[in-house]
Amino acid sequence: MSRALYPLASLEQVEKSPSREDGLPPDLEEDLRAYGCKLIHHAGILLKQKQVAVATAQILFHRFWFVTSLKQFGIGDIGMGALYLASKLEECPLRMRDLINVYDLLLRRASHSNSTGDFKYTPMSYFGNTFYDLKDALVVAEMQILKRLGFDVHVVLPYGTLINYMRLLDLTGREDAVSRAWGYLNDALQTPVYVLYPVPTIVSAAILLATRHLQIPLPSTPPNCWWELFDAEWEDVWAVCGYIMRLYRERSKEDQARVAGMLTKKDVRRWLEEHGHKEGKH
Amino acid sequence: MSDSFESSTPSRKRSRWDHEVDEGDDQLLPTRQVSKRRSKPKTSKLSEYSNTPSPSTKSPVKPSIAAVRPRHSIYAPPRTLYPSLQPARSVYSYERLNQIEEGSYGVVFRARDKQTGDIVALKKLKLDEEKHGFPITALREINALMACRHENVVNIREVVVGDTLTQVFVVMDFIEHDLKTLITLMPAPFLQSEIKTLMLQLLSAVSHCHYHWILHRDLKTSNLLMNNRGTIKVADFGLARRYGDPIGVDGLTQLVVTLWYRAPEILLGATTYSTAIDIWSVGCIFAELLLKEPLFQAKSEMELISMIFKLLGPPTSSSWPDYTTLPLAKSITLPPQQSHGSGLRQRFSYLTNAGLNLLSKMLTYDPEQRITAEEAMQHPYFKESPLPKHPDLFGSFPSAAAGEKRRKPFDSPSAPQRLADYNLITDFDLP
Repeated sequence: MSRALYPLASLEQVEKSPSREDGLPPDLEEDLRAYGCKLIHHAGILLKQKQVAVATAQILFHRFWFVTSLKQFGIGDIGMGALYLASKLEECPLRMRDLINVYDLLLRRASHSNSTGDFKYTPMSYFGNTFYDLKDALVVAEMQILKRLGFDVHVVLPYGTLINYMRLLDLTGREDAVSRAWGYLNDALQTPVYVLYPVPTIVSAAILLATRHLQIPLPSTPPNCWWELFDAEWEDVWAVCGYIMRLYRERSKEDQARVAGMLTKKDVRRWLEEHGHKEGKH
Repeated sequence: MSDSFESSTPSRKRSRWDHEVDEGDDQLLPTRQVSKRRSKPKTSKLSEYSNTPSPSTKSPVKPSIAAVRPRHSIYAPPRTLYPSLQPARSVYSYERLNQIEEGSYGVVFRARDKQTGDIVALKKLKLDEEKHGFPITALREINALMACRHENVVNIREVVVGDTLTQVFVVMDFIEHDLKTLITLMPAPFLQSEIKTLMLQLLSAVSHCHYHWILHRDLKTSNLLMNNRGTIKVADFGLARRYGDPIGVDGLTQLVVTLWYRAPEILLGATTYSTAIDIWSVGCIFAELLLKEPLFQAKSEMELISMIFKLLGPPTSSSWPDYTTLPLAKSITLPPQQSHGSGLRQRFSYLTNAGLNLLSKMLTYDPEQRITAEEAMQHPYFKESPLPKHPDLFGSFPSAAAGEKRRKPFDSPSAPQRLADYNLITDFDLP
């Protein structure tokens, strides 16, 4: 098969995430990356962008943090750059100014969430510095994503595979199962699984979660395990399920506030300075 | 899978990630894979990630099934085959040799890889005046080249960066010639056997691109590179883009394809077009190889339309049912109908019937009826005598791009040479 395979993180890249090397705790990195993906998702909805572009952006976003530390770039800037780039890749380019306006709103609303009072958004002035600063950040972010990913921005989305697998399992009649699995695939975009596992494994995990939740029986006793049809390993499928289910756990107010206050690299650096010696003890 | 719990060790799980680790683990667990290695040395690397226990250690009941059945479908390759995330290297990994050409998109240099010594072509992208970030055309080109790897598509090696964010270079294999220069410089046109080889290579590349949902949109002889081993490579994917099914839902531009090679549906303003436009260009290239000059050397779009109508006769309701629905069709008055197909026959008087049939199927008005690359490769033209020449038997030429010069212009008449050649061959064939 001559079709080029999409890149996945190597073992070394998984074990040594650049942010962790800089002293950022893994759970905080996980939260920040998930929040960055939520911002991309929000921006996509406000811009009426296609889901293929949003999903591609989220996957590129996750790839980026396997080669770059959150100390060097903020999740706001890189998310914006990823969405801009992905929209070109999916042949539905965005206007820079629209994207910048939407991100400005989202970032300001996020930082407001830590203070009291109603949120009021005042649009930036047309030729103001805010616009030009964000525009520079956007151009740099897009270029940095390309450069650090070696210009290999080939992304394969899971939706077509899900449809095929559901057909194969004779589940297309169960609309609830299909839409639930589809939803798990979309939620999984907030986790790094699309850079850790091949698409068949992720799709199998989404089907596993959906069918278990709806108590739809599928052949699951060795030697007849349905996921083997799709060349997925049980441990991998189970690990992907774990990543997805972790998204739904209850979060404390403090955890939420901590993330909303760390959208730029400056915030991350400040946090590292304040918590640096504590983390160093581990 | 049944025994996976007992046999699954941490090292095994890791072995799915990395070849090197995999090899190291094998030495730690020498008993595990020995017999398998010996029996299937070629596939052992790929098969080790699977948690299926090796037949020798466990489950004597069904050893043959595990050994015979391939462990992975080609659509779900094992984890280790996926490339890792690789940041772009620096342009200083290459040593600049000479400039090859400068186009509107950027400059092309010949360069040497400092590590391997390979000669490559470095295409510098023009990014200085970009108002919309990284140009979408450059993205399309890089993605199309990466997605369409093929024997007859120029090989993209990597993309490297300079000191600033505005310096980006696409690294490709260096190919000695382009077909355009070659055709104009060579003394006699290509032989039929050579044309067949070139056309088969071109069609194979085009069919490969179409299979991967890529339209080239600028096929012409100057974008076909040729090495000294008789192989052509489709290059310059600067106008290429992905297409979908249904076609053109997101609106396609008509500002594509160099005029002489542009299909009639684009000329007449169609906003939905597809793979057929590349085939029209292939037809023009086929004609150019036969004629040793471009088929439609028009100066304007109107002149091109009238040249096409003159050669092929005006479109009719049967040859192109959708003609009247095209935006610009109303503004054109059709010339009177001629006798059918005579234009092509007159222009290509020495071409066999099969060859003429293939050409007319490529230069068919109706995009729906136009032959596909896949079908064209099966055309009888390629199976009749003379058969396609093996690429190794092609002559070599001095490369203008590498700065080589032709030794002596060919000015002597060619007939006596041919005669001499002929004698030589018959002499050689004598016992």
